[in-house]
Parts: sequence; C-alpha cells; structure tokens
Amino acid sequence: MKKVLYIAVTALMFTSCESFLDTESYTKKTTANFPVTEKDAIQMVTGVYATLNKSIANCQNTYFYLSELAADDRFGGGGENDKDMQVMDHLLYTNINRFQSFWTDRYSGINRANWAIANLDKVENETMRNQMMGEALILRAFFYNELVEMFGSVPLITTVPQDVADAQIYPAQSPVDDVYAAIASDLKKAIEIMPDNKWNSTISGSGHLTKWTAEALLGRVFLFYTGFYGKESLPLMGEDGAIAGSIAKAEVVTALEDCINNSGHELVSDYRSLWPYTNTVSKQFYPLEGNPQWVKDGENPEQVFAIKCSHLADWSTTIGYSNQYMLHFAIRSHGGADQFKNLFPFGQGWGAGPVSPKLWKEWQAAEPNDLRREASILDGSKTKDYTYGADKQMEETGLWQKKVIATTAPKSTKAVELDGKIETVINELFNSFTSSDKYYGDGKDDDFQLGHEVDLNIIRFADVLLMHSELTQTADGINKVRARAKLPAVTYSETALRNERRWELAFEGTRWADIRRWGIAEQALSNQLGSDIWNRGVATVMKNQGAGYAARYAATKGFMPIPQSEIDLSNGVLKQNAGWDASAVFVSWNE
Amino acid sequence: MEEKCSTFSLRKLSSRLMQMVIVTAFLLVNCLPAMAQTSTKVKGVITSGADGLPLIGVNVVEKGTTNGTVTDFDGNFELTVSSNSVLDISYIGYLSQQVKVVSGTSLYKIVLKEDSQALDEVVVVGYGVQKKKLVTGATVQVSGDNLQKLSTTNALGALQSQTPGVNITQSSGQPGEGFKVVIRGLGTIGSSGPLYVIDGVAGGDINALNPSDIESIDVLKDAASAAIYGARAANGVVLVTTKQGKAGKLQLTYDGYYGTQYLANMPSLLKAKEYMTMMDETRFNEANPGYDWANVLPTTLYNSIMDGSWQGTNWLKESYNEAAPTQNHAINLAGGTEQSKFSLGFSYTSQEGILGKPVQSQYDRYTARINSDHVLLKVKDFDAIKIGETLNFNYNTKSGIAIGNIYGNSIHNLLVGNPLLPAYDEEGNFYDYDDKVNNGWDFDGNTGNPLAGTALSNWGLNLSKNYALQSSAYLEIQPIKNLVFRSQFGYKMTASSYRSYDGIRHLSNNTNVEMDNVYQSASSGHNITLDNTIAYKFKVADKHQFDVVLGQSVEKWGMGSDINASGNNSIFEGSFDHAWVNNTKPTVLSQRGAGGSPWGEGALASFFGRANYNYKETYMASLTMRADGSSNFAKGKRWGYFPSASAGWVMSNEAFMENTKGWLDFMKIRASWGQNGNAAIDNFQYQTTFAFDESNGYYFDSGKLTQTVGGYADILANPDVTWETSEQLNLGFDSRFLNSRLGLTFDWYTKTTKDWLVTAPISGVWGLNPPSVNGGDIENRGFEVALNWNDKVDEFNYGATVNFAHNENEVTRIANAEGIIHGDANVLSQGTTEMYRAQEGYSIGYFYGYKTAGVFQNWDQVNNTSAKYAGAQPGDLIFVDTNGDGSITENDRTQIGNPHPDFTLGLNLNFSYKGFDLNVTGTGAFGQQIAKSYRSFADSPLQNYTTDIFGRWTGEGTSNKLPRLTSGSHTNWQNISDIYIEDGDYLKIQNLTIGYDFKKLFPSMPLGQARLYFTAQNLITFTGYSGMDPEIGYGYGKSWVSGIDLGYYPSPRTYMVGVNLKF
Repeated sequence: MKKVLYIAVTALMFTSCESFLDTESYTKKTTANFPVTEKDAIQMVTGVYATLNKSIANCQNTYFYLSELAADDRFGGGGENDKDMQVMDHLLYTNINRFQSFWTDRYSGINRANWAIANLDKVENETMRNQMMGEALILRAFFYNELVEMFGSVPLITTVPQDVADAQIYPAQSPVDDVYAAIASDLKKAIEIMPDNKWNSTISGSGHLTKWTAEALLGRVFLFYTGFYGKESLPLMGEDGAIAGSIAKAEVVTALEDCINNSGHELVSDYRSLWPYTNTVSKQFYPLEGNPQWVKDGENPEQVFAIKCSHLADWSTTIGYSNQYMLHFAIRSHGGADQFKNLFPFGQGWGAGPVSPKLWKEWQAAEPNDLRREASILDGSKTKDYTYGADKQMEETGLWQKKVIATTAPKSTKAVELDGKIETVINELFNSFTSSDKYYGDGKDDDFQLGHEVDLNIIRFADVLLMHSELTQTADGINKVRARAKLPAVTYSETALRNERRWELAFEGTRWADIRRWGIAEQALSNQLGSDIWNRGVATVMKNQGAGYAARYAATKGFMPIPQSEIDLSNGVLKQNAGWDASAVFVSWNE
Repeated sequence: MEEKCSTFSLRKLSSRLMQMVIVTAFLLVNCLPAMAQTSTKVKGVITSGADGLPLIGVNVVEKGTTNGTVTDFDGNFELTVSSNSVLDISYIGYLSQQVKVVSGTSLYKIVLKEDSQALDEVVVVGYGVQKKKLVTGATVQVSGDNLQKLSTTNALGALQSQTPGVNITQSSGQPGEGFKVVIRGLGTIGSSGPLYVIDGVAGGDINALNPSDIESIDVLKDAASAAIYGARAANGVVLVTTKQGKAGKLQLTYDGYYGTQYLANMPSLLKAKEYMTMMDETRFNEANPGYDWANVLPTTLYNSIMDGSWQGTNWLKESYNEAAPTQNHAINLAGGTEQSKFSLGFSYTSQEGILGKPVQSQYDRYTARINSDHVLLKVKDFDAIKIGETLNFNYNTKSGIAIGNIYGNSIHNLLVGNPLLPAYDEEGNFYDYDDKVNNGWDFDGNTGNPLAGTALSNWGLNLSKNYALQSSAYLEIQPIKNLVFRSQFGYKMTASSYRSYDGIRHLSNNTNVEMDNVYQSASSGHNITLDNTIAYKFKVADKHQFDVVLGQSVEKWGMGSDINASGNNSIFEGSFDHAWVNNTKPTVLSQRGAGGSPWGEGALASFFGRANYNYKETYMASLTMRADGSSNFAKGKRWGYFPSASAGWVMSNEAFMENTKGWLDFMKIRASWGQNGNAAIDNFQYQTTFAFDESNGYYFDSGKLTQTVGGYADILANPDVTWETSEQLNLGFDSRFLNSRLGLTFDWYTKTTKDWLVTAPISGVWGLNPPSVNGGDIENRGFEVALNWNDKVDEFNYGATVNFAHNENEVTRIANAEGIIHGDANVLSQGTTEMYRAQEGYSIGYFYGYKTAGVFQNWDQVNNTSAKYAGAQPGDLIFVDTNGDGSITENDRTQIGNPHPDFTLGLNLNFSYKGFDLNVTGTGAFGQQIAKSYRSFADSPLQNYTTDIFGRWTGEGTSNKLPRLTSGSHTNWQNISDIYIEDGDYLKIQNLTIGYDFKKLFPSMPLGQARLYFTAQNLITFTGYSGMDPEIGYGYGKSWVSGIDLGYYPSPRTYMVGVNLKF
C-alpha cells in the first residue's frame, strides 16, 4: 500500500521537477535559435569553407597531395619513416584507413553545404541569397568531384540527417554517373543564379567563390568525366534524384568563354610573380632578372579558386589554417647551421615530392628557352654545400619544386668582407617570409611548421585558358599562356596542349587527373623508372615497388582505397576498390 | 534493541547506536579478598581499554538491586552499596563486567574491554546506518584509524590494501596526483570512477581530505547497496564520513611525520660509449658506415668519452631529487556534551617530488574541518530536534613536471635524452644550442637538453592553487520516537588558479622558443544539494523489525566559470615568480589572448525509498527503489528507475546449527540484485547543436588576420539517449569462526552494464560527430574473499588480514557495424598505429598488435617460414600469421595484452606487545600486462635506450625476443607487437611500521598516548617488470585505458618517522 502511495506522490512531483532539469547551452546554438537570420545563414556557408582548411591539417591524405605525388612528375620522398609519402608515388599502402581524415573532412563539408543549402532561404536579399547559394553549391560540387575522382563511386548525400536514427542505414555507393550528375547540376545552378560581378568585386566579399569559379570547375569536371569515362557529355540530375538531361561540350565552352571574357580574371605579366619566392622581402637576397614581384593573395587576378590560408594557425585550433603543403613539400633539414641560407629562400620541411629528373630533362629538350622551368624547379645540386640524405631523405633527386614550398626571408643582416669588398649577407632567417612585418607577421610568430600563409591555388586562370583550348581544339588559350612565358606561338595539337599543361601547371595539382583522363597514366608512371635518386644519401635509381607502377595503375585505375573502417562501419554496404588487397602493402623500400 | 535512523551520528556519539571496531584491549580487574560489612561508599573511574580514555555514562548497578548510577564526564562514579556486594558495570559496545566490592579499596580503576563480537558494529549505508550483522549487500568498511596508520598523503592510497574488489591504482607517482578507482571492473569507457559521498553530500572530492580527517570509509560494491544512490551509482559508491564530535572530555590529538623519499628503481640507461656502439650497429645492420664520431662530436667531448674520463650524461640521475622531503601534521580536537558536540581538525601536508630537479614537483595541502551536532530539544529519551553541520575546507598548491603522452612527458624526455650531450656548460648554465654550435656538435641537430626542456618551459614552471569547500547542514526532527524527518543542505565550492611560464630557450634545431609566454587561468564554481528524508523504525509483534526511509534529493552543479589570459614578452624575462600577464608587454595585439567560458551546468532530481526488514535478526530483506531525473537527457527520456532487492539469513542463529557453536560463531548468507544508473555524458546530445569555434571559421580577408565566424552542426542529435544501467547480482556470506578469531567473507558477483553510454564511431559520410548513444553492453564477473585472523597470547596480540579479488571484464556489444571503439595511434611512438581499443568479445582497452614467435635465427628458419614480410632475414621478428592466410598483414593484429589484473591482493599483518606495535601492509596485482616504451622507436632512432637493448639479436642464438637493431622504420620496431608488452604482476610491501607507545614506559605522563613510529613505504616490490614501477594507472589520458608506461613518474620509496600524541 505504502509503495503505491509513494509512487503516486512521486508521479505528481515529477512534473514539477521537469523545469528544474531544463538546461540551456551557454556556448552553442541549437535548432531552436539557429539559423534564423541572414547572418546565421552566411555563418553556415562560412562553416562549409572551414572544412577546406580542416583537410589541409592532414594534407598528406588529400586529393591535392595525391595529385602531386602519384603523378609522374614527382616522387614520394620524405624520410625513411614517411612511408605515406612513398606509397602514394608507388600506388601502395601501409595503412588502409589512411584516407579516413580526408573522407571525413570532405563529407563534413558536404553535410555543412547540405545544411546551408536547406537554410539559405533565410537570406532576404535576393542577390546575396543567390551568391551564397552559389558558393555552397560550388563547394559541394568541388567536394564530390574530389571524392569521385579519388574513390570512384561514393555515397551521394544531399540532405541533412535529422538524428542518429537516420544514420543507422548506410547509404550505398551511387554510380559515378549519378555523382557526376549531382556535381554538374550544382555547378549549372550556381552559374545560373550567381551575380555577374567581376572576380574582385564579389558582393559577399573578397576571397569568396564566384560564378567564374563555377564555370572553371565545370570545365575541369567535364574534361575528366568525358576523358576518363569516354563520354560525350556530362549528365544532369533531375529534382527526383534521377539523371535527367546533360551538359554538352558547347555549353561548357560557353561557360569558359564567359569566364574568360567577363570575369575580370587575367594573367599576371610575369609568371614568377605568381610564386611567393618573389616576395619583396626575400627577393633582395634572391635577385631575378626583370625583378618580378609577388602578387599577393586576394590581389592576384589569376586566382579563380584558392583555399585561403592565414596567419593564425595554431595547434589548438587547426594547423590547416596554414598551408601545410608548403611544409610537406619543403626540404628536410640536416641540422647544419647554414643549410637554409644556402638554399635561400627555400625553407625547411618534410621533403615530400622530389621532382622527377625526367621532367627536368624532357622540359629542357622540348622547350629549352622556357623561363618557367627554372621558375618552377630548384636544382639543389647547384646550391652551396647541398647534402643528399638530410634526415634520411628518400627518393631524393636534388630537384625541388619552387611553387608550393616554405619560403624564407632575412630576419637580420650583417656586413662581411668578401674578396676585399664589404657585402651585406643574411645573418638570421625567418622560417617564413609571411612572418615578417612587411606581410602579416610581427617578426616573432615564426614557427617553421605553421608560418605558411600563402593560399593554395586550386584553379588558376591559365588553366581556364588551357581548358578552353583543349575543348575547342584551338591554340588561342595556349598561346596566351606561352606569350606570358615569352615563348612563340604554336598551332594547336594534342601534344602541344598536353605539354603546355605539364609546363604551365606543373606542381599545381592537375597532372594526376590529366594523365588519367588522357589515358597515358601507365606509360607516364613507368617513365619514372631508372631515374637517379638518393635514398638516405646513397645513390641508386628509381625502381618498381610492390607490383610496379604500370601494374598498380592497371589494377586500381588510379582510384584509392576506401577507408576500411568506413567499410566496416557500413556493415559491408561499401565495397572496396579493386587492387587494394594485402598484396598492395608496402613494407619498406626495396632497394 | 531500538535504533533510530541518523546518517551522521556515528559510533560513540550516540551510545545507543554506535559501537567500536574490534580492537584488542587490556583488561584490568581489581580483585581483593572480601570482607563483611554492612554498607560502604565506593568510588571509581572507568576507562576504555581501547584508548585509555574515560567513558561517560557507564551504568554502574549494585547487582540484584535497582541501586545504581552512571559515570560523569571524567568517567568517575560514586555509589553507596552494601558490603560484599557486586557491581554490574555495563556500557553499550563493551563487554559487561562484574566487580566485587572489597573494603579498603578507595578507588576502583575499571577498564572496560570492547565487545569483540563486533557484530553489532554499524556501517554507513547511505541515508542511514545499519548494523553490520544485518547488512545484506556487499559493503566494506575501513576505519579512519586504519587509513591513518599507513601515513599516506591521500586516503585512497591507504585504501588500496584494504578493500577487495576495489581496484585502486595511482594515475601517477607525482605528488598531488590522483588515483584510478574501479569497483568490480570497468563498466564503461566514460566516467568510470565511483560516486563519492562525503558526509552525506554526493559528488565530493576525497583527495581534498587528509586521512586524519576521516572517521570511516564505507564502499558499497553491489547494486543493492548502492541503489539508494541510483543515479551515478553504476560504478559503485564510496561513503566518506569525516570525524564527528564526541561528548565527553576534550580530546586533542596530534599526528605528524617527516620522511625522505627515494627512487626505488633507477632504470639503467646507456652510457656514452654504449650508446655510440648501438648507433653504429644500427647503421652497420643496414649496410651503412658507422658514424664518424671524432668529427660529429666536439673534440673535447669525444676525447673525454674515449679516454673514459666521462661516461656521458645520465639525464634521469641529473634530474633525481634524492631524499626529497615529505611531511604531515594533523591536529584534531573533539569534545562537547550530549547536547552539543564538535570536532575540529587542521592539517598540513607537504610532499616534494623525487624527479624533475631543478624544478621538482611540489605539493602542499592545508585542510580545516569543523563538524558539530546540537540537540535543541530533548524529549524524554530521544532527541526531538537536532541540528548540525560539517565543513571541510581544503587549500592545496601543486607544481609538477609534464607527465603526459610522448609529446608532453618530462620523464620520457629524460629517458630518451642523448647521453653524449652534457647537461651543463663550463659556466654552469644549461648546455644548449649555442653550446652545441660553439663546441662543434654535428651529430643530431634535433637533440636538446631535456633538463632545460623542463626547467625553462611550462612543463616545469607552473603552479596551481586549488580551493575547495565541502559543507553540509542538517535539521532533524523526531516528533515521535523513531520517526525522524531530516533535511540536509549541501554546498560545495571549488576554485582554482593556475599560472605557467614558457621561457625563451634555444636547445636544438627544433626547440627554439624566441618569445616567452605567460599563461594564467582561474575558475570557480558551486554545487548545491538538498536532501529530505523521513525514516521510521518500528516493530511488529516484537519480532518483525522494520526500518523505512523515504526521501527526495535535488542537486544542481556547474554554476561557475573559467577565465584565462596569456601574453608574450615578459618584462621579467626568465622569472617564473614574475610571470603575470600584466608583466607581459606584447608588441602586437595578437600576443595577448584571453578566454572565458561557463561550466557545464546540470541538475539531478531524485526520489527514493528503502524498506529494511528483519525477523529476529535472523531473516533479513531489503527493498530499494530510486527514480532519478537527469538534465543530460531530453524530456521524456530523463527519468531512470533503479530498483533493488536483497535478502540475508543468519544461519548460525538457527537451532539446527547449535552443534556447530563450538567452532562457528556466525554465518550469514546474503543475496542481492539491483540496478544502478549512469548519466555521465556531455549535455545536449539529444539535440543538434551548432558550434562557432575558432577552428571552424574562414579567413576570406586577403590580410589574413581577420577570421569570419563559421557555424556548423557539430553533432548528430540523439533524442533517445537515456540512462545507462548497471545490473548486478551478488551472492556472498559473512562468517566468523573459532571464537571470532577467524573471519571469512566471500562474495561472487556478475555485473552487466546495459545501454552503455558510448560515443560509438559513425560513418564519416554523415559528416557529423557521433553523439553519445546507449550503445553497448559490458560484463564483469568475479569474486572477492576477505580472510582475517586476530588473536592474542598473553600480551602479544597479532592479526593478519588477506583479501583477494578476481574480476573478468568483457565487452559484449558495441552498437556500430564494426563493433569497435578505436584507440589512439602514436601512443608508444610517433608513427605507430592504434594499440588499444574496446571491442566486442574482449576486455575493454585491451592491447592490440602483432604477436611474435621469437626472432629468426638463421636463413633456414627464414626460408622455412611461409608467412613473413618480404625481405625478412635472420634477426628479424617472426610475426605470427594469426588469421592463417599465409601472409603477414594488418589483419594479423590481435590481442597482445590486457591491462586489467586477473587478481588483486591486499594483505596486512600486525603485531603488538606491550607498547610495541609492528604493521606490514602489502598490495599486489596479477595477470595484467603493461605496454612499455621508453623511446619513440619508430621516428626517433637517435634517442637513447635502456640497457634492455643489450638483449637484442646479434647473431644466431643471441636473442629470441628483441630483433636486430635497425632504423625505426623497419617493421621489426614499427609494428606494435608483443615485444613492447610485459607482464605486470607485482606484490608491493607498501608499508612497514614499527611503533612504540611511551605511555607504557611512563604511565604517569599527562598524555593518553605518546607513540613514536618509523615507517618505510613502498619498501620492496616483487615483480618481473623491467620498468620503474609496475603500478601504472596511466592510460593516455583515458579513463578506460591503463598500463601504458612511457616514462611513468614512479611512486617513491619513503622512510619516515612520526608521532601520535593524545592529550
């Protein structure tokens, strides 16, 4: 009896207790108060952009890194423990979950874009709404494009899961055609709705993506899809999620022409001004003929799509705010005091992606007067006291690319007597020129791992010109690019186009897609064999690892392994890509 | 016997209720020949045999009459009795005595012996007390005296040997660090510690108490016992009662000790020449030339190494703070009247660390306590209105060295420090980068002075100050006898401040800090609880006894905030004492930073009831029900209901057991079943939240300095998340044999954690972090045995206690397709894969990696082994092809160790003879493994080794455990395998104490006790483990992981001298 009474009393009291148990988050918003305003909606789009930097924090697992190391113009490199770098070159693996961070970062961007797209109706101003919607669509398309190029068919998710119950059913991989249709539809819509402002007067502000980005990205997607899969047009997706309609080549050409003629984008006058080694601080000790000067990020009319990097990278926030590629692709330290003064202005890093000597030689043979070759590649062996095998460098060639690399600057100078003359030389170095107060720094915050604030270019205007040439089979774009490099005009040919892309866009993350879509990957990769390399300072030649370049490409078609843990979490719904079984495990470099 | 229900009245305090623990006593009886007389006046004083203190309120009655009296505050009595009569002397908790009245005796000195039956002793059970002999659950009580006599700075350190089934492991040996407490096996990867209830207030901090403040600790191990604390009781409950007031003569005690501490086991590191040999051998093994030492080392260094005049730096020895002092002083005062009682305590504890010189760790703690009880209204024979309070204040300061993972561990850095590098230069300054450059060091550019690395940075330059107040006040109203209404308000406050200084230093290529940094933080917060209970005790037909409690409790916590600030460029460069943010003069704004955040708030509302029943103290039953509402869950999912039931049977009371009375004094069989809850997750998992943190903004601005705020959904909502339930079945018995000299307690249990609150990974395609889900089950099964023996031969008393516990832990479900919660990579070394995980079918946090089957000794063996890595050669490890697919792949990784002991052991031996006493305490754990790595083997091949590396393979027959030396990238070393796993079995002689009470030598001294003692702590460790200390609670900062030794701060060996004085 007593118990019954007790339960009854308790039941009455419970209701009054509920309010006592209500709590409110003082640090986060919830679906009850977000997103409500236009500002909120824009914050959601900003959150999508933020995932670009997230992936840079683990740049060694990204599409861009793969595009550089897997392609033929660069090797893996790194120290002997940096097998992640070497396996990318040889299309092998050490850790089947390696791409988990990239997979997660890209899908997190997709999810945020899905949230934003579903909520941008909160922006009242129509022009702004269209601009923001376009940006979210471009980003979603960009994320899917990297995933589909890297992994083939992947789950296509365009809605927002409401709660954890929605996530219980694992979505199957969509056919690649569906993924491309979704990408194409997003880009088409972005092109249709986005305002026509010039690249440097975007209404959402500097650094935002534009209609011109959408047009350029459409060109890139079209070329890969039609090239790699042997198709004529790019599918489109209807409202119901089924393929409906397509984008033909002519439409893409029109889009590229719109970008070329109306965006305000143009080539900078000196090719070397694109790269940070011509910055005003460093160049006083790195004189170049014609005195080119670096065009700062945000002022560079060639940046059609760039991932912004910044001054405030931090281990406690994300190191991805700094351009970690510049660190990874920079030269390993052997600990000697003057190493980076001798290599000035190229700084310290992890030694990933040594440049293939074949590129150096083939370029010289094909285009001996091309200033872009030395503007793009440092011949280390010509520098003072160059030491092979710094910190157990592997697959070293002595050749380093100059575009995406740590760039140092003088911190203090001193006068010394050289050959009877008093000369000013560098006394102390900044690890990064951006640390100097001439740029963003205060001279103190100069971490060699974090001080890389130069944006990562994804699409440069020269690429747009070359894509236009390729699609139209006309030489106009090629010759604009060549003219800037002070090279004579050529007539259009497949070889001319392919060479021009290889020279102009070297080390800018396009080569891997190019050799895959042109169907020349196996031969291009095999071309790396026999090159002179140094492993831990010991001279040898580049050899096949595992099954070898050609066999590995044939087995994988260049697709990477889906993280095994994702397959496990999908309860077997996801299927692993071909060629990624235990036979592809890399143990150590087979001399 | 009637009892009333009261949580805070403790033994001796309420004479009708409380009894003393077993202590042997001296019995003095005055017996003189009788003489015939008619009437005589007798005077006497009655004291306790246990502590010699006067006993107040003892009944003294002339036998066979109603003529009697009670003793006064000083234990005195006076009574006029007839000659040749006998005095009946009785007192609750003591054996009654009869004393013959003898003429001519002016003063009867009577010492009462405590009732050794002890079965009437009471234990604290939560919202009340219960006679121990009636308890039907599995609880264990440890008295404050038994804690204090081990002279530990922390009560948990003393509990270690005394509580079977409670696995207590230090999380670090650094002064002021805490313990990992796991009751009956890990049931969760979340918050796994028990609920501490201090003086009736849930959620207190036991580390804030000096052991001398503690009257008793009761551990509620089974679900039925803990059920009254339903919420948060899933991991067991530890009830701490601080010392309470005692009516009677003021009692003042002083306890103090002073000791010095030593490193018990100094690992043997390679000396300079040995190091050079190993480095060269690594090169030779990979067909590389050895190092050109004469050129890469400074000439003077090289020469002194080669001519043997310098053996290199032993960094650990350089940092060793030998004979580090520790001391403790505690004063306690208790007294009052039956109407008003109080207890006061003050203590000071100080402990210096044995490692980290010149910035060795330091811990200082001050505590103050005031507890009192006051009877406002007494009606007839019971207290009608009573009020009281408890108040414990703690202030401690702590400065430590880094004891974290391989990226933040000072000891790790000492162990791996390069022995070729001197510690100091000729001027006596730290040997740094400039010294290296000036002297021509050209070996390893990244090696730096690890002493300086700690001494000049925030790893060593830090100080935290912590303040904690734990208090409660109660009002008790007893309108009719045995119906008690009690209302208790609890208030807790904690505040802390922290300061650190990261100094300018250039130690190596990659340690070059050009700008100093000052960091300060402060926080404070509050917690309130309100408990109301009604208790009623009644008898039906004199045989059926009921004890019923109904109650309600609310708690609110997290009302607090954190703030922090940092700045660069201190004007007092290099000075920690001057490291205040105001002293920093940043040149640009970005060099100053500040932050502030609220504490996560939460609330708990509960209703509970318990009914205890016994029939003639022979058949017992207990029912408990508790309902808890937690703010961590969505409306509709908030309430959890936690029932329990238990029963006991005192078999030895039965008539049919009469013929066993000769050897069996007591036998009780117990059974209990119950459910407890756990709601310890982050709040707001039930809804989608949007975060706006700095790592999710974007820098559109070409100036690169202005961040645009980004907003994003950070977790996938789980509206259904609710209570985790731990269900436990317990069977056991309590027994006493041979005139209660032998005691045996046994418990068997099975505990299933259901709907385990877990953050199980979800697929990345959802693009959101997973929320906490009720997504797993864990089972723990085990048994506990406690055996004790106490006896005396003349004046020689001796006793022995052994307790023994076994637990098996298994994860039975994880609610994702993979069935795994992954652990971290890069734990033992940078560049290595995940090495621990939680997985269905295994113990939680088991070690994961490759099994090895020795080392390839020759080419025949290599060629005859089909499953091997390409390029395997003699001297390489033989990895086991566990899945039998013919090749060695990642899929061959399996369980290679388990950090949880199969058995734990506690033992205690004590002897006393006249004034001497000797006490030996030991603890042991068996069956667990330790993952040990004192170097980052995969990525830092130039780090130093311990001399264990002498056991490597150097040719056929030299070693079947450690492979040949190769660079870290070789699979031999880079694969996490069982070569890094060792058995961690150990038995520690934790405490050895010899004491003498000078009161025995000088009985006339005005002190009740004057004991001097010598103690050795951590005297001997029997273990096969090669590291510094096998008792390793470190688990990469995770509560569910332990046994990872990356350079673990060992517990010191301490020699101390102390005194106990009673006035």
